[in-house]
Amino acid sequence: MDSSLPGRIVHALARLIAIAGGAVLLVVAVITVISIVGRAFIWAGLTSIRGDFELVEAGVGFAVFCFLPWAHLTRGHAVVTIFTDALPPRVNAVLVILSDLLMLIIAAFLTWRHFLGMLDKMQYGETTLLLRFPLWWSYAAGLPGAAIFVLVALYVLVRSVAATAAGQPPIPQQGAIH
Amino acid sequence: MSNIELGLWSFPILLGMIFLRVPIGLAMLVVGVTGSWLVTGTWNPVLAQFKNLTQSTFASYSLSVVPLFLLMGQFASISGMSQSLFRAAATWVGHRKGGVAIATVGACAGFGAICGSSLATAATMGQVALPELKRYGYSGALSTGTLAAGGTLGILIPPSVILVIYAVLTEQNIAKLFMAAFIPGFLAMLGYIVAIAIYVRISPESAGNRERAAYPERFRALLDIWPVMLLFLLVIGGIYTGVFTPTEAAAIGAVGTGLVALLSGSLNFRSFGAAMLGTASSTAMLFLIVLGAAALNTFLALSQLPQFLSAFVTEQGFNPWLILFIVLLLYLLLGCVMDSLSMILLTIPIIYPVMTTLDFGLPPEDFAIWFGILVLVVVEVGLITPPVGMNLFVINGLSRDTPLLHTYRGVLPFVASDLVRVVILAAFPAVTLYALHLFY
Repeated sequence: MDSSLPGRIVHALARLIAIAGGAVLLVVAVITVISIVGRAFIWAGLTSIRGDFELVEAGVGFAVFCFLPWAHLTRGHAVVTIFTDALPPRVNAVLVILSDLLMLIIAAFLTWRHFLGMLDKMQYGETTLLLRFPLWWSYAAGLPGAAIFVLVALYVLVRSVAATAAGQPPIPQQGAIH
Repeated sequence: MSNIELGLWSFPILLGMIFLRVPIGLAMLVVGVTGSWLVTGTWNPVLAQFKNLTQSTFASYSLSVVPLFLLMGQFASISGMSQSLFRAAATWVGHRKGGVAIATVGACAGFGAICGSSLATAATMGQVALPELKRYGYSGALSTGTLAAGGTLGILIPPSVILVIYAVLTEQNIAKLFMAAFIPGFLAMLGYIVAIAIYVRISPESAGNRERAAYPERFRALLDIWPVMLLFLLVIGGIYTGVFTPTEAAAIGAVGTGLVALLSGSLNFRSFGAAMLGTASSTAMLFLIVLGAAALNTFLALSQLPQFLSAFVTEQGFNPWLILFIVLLLYLLLGCVMDSLSMILLTIPIIYPVMTTLDFGLPPEDFAIWFGILVLVVVEVGLITPPVGMNLFVINGLSRDTPLLHTYRGVLPFVASDLVRVVILAAFPAVTLYALHLFY
């Protein structure tokens, strides 16, 4: 791990927001379970949580945005390295830098468009069907994760360039665990 | 260049990027976005689309089942349920010839019933079973081969993350797909047990003996796996009977495995954080690919390539079974280099519409389900096919004193068993559809 101050800050941010996303995911699961229990005991005067699926959508959306920075920072995305393993390290280093640059561009593109999407929803005043909370809240919830994703993508690109300049090999891929 | 040509060219470009180690989801996004721009000749449609596409993909109720199943798998891994499953299986069959390896397969199947992913099943069961296999004198080749193959049961036996994705892509019913996966998953387990039985008869020195366990011990061990049974009944039973939506069932599974982990004392501050980060990594990886697939599909739809290909295949009047054979072969080859989920997201949008135009004598829904299970099974064979199957690396990494070549050799009987099963499932759709028609 990068022990410089920016490196430590970026790692801490990505870890923190990933765990926050995971915690919200767990809360979503608990809300769903409570709602099911309520539904099962309607005869006893309990009730399911109104609009629970709207909470699920909003919560999972928030969580996925929160997960993006950590996955990129720790090289968690699925890649195929079987063909490039045969190439010299120098070539691999350049390929990794190009990938990291593409990721930064896409991260910035997604965040920019998502932000404008939020402004649209705000302007039109759209709300969800049952709970009637403004739709732009869900969009806004994704922004912290998206913004940190851009920051992480920038950091990862700089890290790759610096490592290549110093002649170090790129950080190995974790590969896909699913 | 015509739109169809753009669509056709996008594939070599996309594969080229992927093979040059661009993350798969990222490559799909880049090709999808630029492709849509080239087809329409303006940026406006793409820019407008991405105001909502990310949000609608990430905050989608039908996909919300995926992170919940992943969270469930993470909790299941630290809950100690893998140990009790292995113990229960080993006390019952461990004394037989090759029994500890057979117990490993059984425990993998059990763990697959609460975990929706292959690599997680292989890794979790590997930690539990490898030391035991070694203790009872099983060779590294047989041990690692068994675990790599057993791990694929994680995805075949419901719940299965990949089937959820397939269901969303092809607009099929998740409950029905899970039901259809049941018999093939069970056949897979039987096939692996047969493979082990033959293996230890051809090469008796690769398996040692375990003492026979007394019946009281056996039943005690069986009692210990009640949380697994209960969770499986709630989650899968709930989905099958339609009492719960898949998301609700996955939520119950996540909370339930979390509680089991908490009660077993293995859930502390540290392992909780690790479970969250593990969920984060695999969820983000999946959703980036799903988002990439959405972008790519928009482009392909604009290019009209899928319609063109479907029309072409219909016009030529190819033999459907020949096409099926080629498609499955393609999946087998791709499965050796690419992870299964990326492969399905990458190919189903093109291949599925083409396949639905072919006549296999099945109603459309039956065909969709049968084809989905076939693809899933074939893709999983790729996970354990030497020299690149990913499960092989995961397990070999856990067993440090086994050379990779031994793992390659040890897994071959299992690959053979898989291929036999693929042929059976392809030749007799009824095997897959039987359970489905019984209940729906």
